[in-house]
Amino acid sequence: MSGRALFDPGLQPERTDLAWRRTALAIAAASLVSLRAFPLLIDNPRVGILGVVPGIVGLMLAAGMVWRARLRYSRFLRSTEARRPQDAGGGALLLTVAGFVAMGAICSFVLVLVSVLR
Amino acid sequence: MSRGRFPSSVYDVGDEPDARFSLANERTFLAWNRTALALIAGGVALEALGLDLHPRLRLIASLTLIGAGLLFPVLAWSEWKRAERALRLGSPLPGSSASVALAVSIVGVGALILLGLLLR
Repeated sequence: MSGRALFDPGLQPERTDLAWRRTALAIAAASLVSLRAFPLLIDNPRVGILGVVPGIVGLMLAAGMVWRARLRYSRFLRSTEARRPQDAGGGALLLTVAGFVAMGAICSFVLVLVSVLR
Repeated sequence: MSRGRFPSSVYDVGDEPDARFSLANERTFLAWNRTALALIAGGVALEALGLDLHPRLRLIASLTLIGAGLLFPVLAWSEWKRAERALRLGSPLPGSSASVALAVSIVGVGALILLGLLLR
């Protein structure tokens, strides 16, 4: 190691990076399951293909999270005690909320399709 | 001074807090979102697996779970903003009303499922 002082001995940037990755992993896992399960649940095969939409949205959301987390963490690594850059604002968090709500809404729509076509 | 970060309702007040507290606030937000995801997944599974419960109660329980799962990310965003403002101003952290909502949701859904089992 370079002997440069850690940004934070409590490893908060690391823990935050891992929290984003955990969240992305949970979303990705749920998305993969939905890719498998939703088209099968909808009885009409032509409509059933719409069941992949939540999964695809979810995977894109998860990929975006991991990508951004890596960018942010490398910015932390490059900062020093003397020159600590201003961290990002709440934009990514609001996007996360929007992503979740969108996915939840799409899932509800798929559920309605399932019960209507059952 | 902030360089115009979003949202201004947070970043236009107070001073830059210790980064560790901001990061902890952010991890709390993410934890809420993972909880919401679990609720949504539970709601979808409950209805999609067609478990042997009273059908209408099962549907209500499922929609409650999904509805809660849609609500908590929004609550989490609001709580993140309030906590971040409190950190910037050095005021006491606000209480977590979302926690109460979570407890009520889970107890409510559990009661619906129990009823659905008993009345099937």
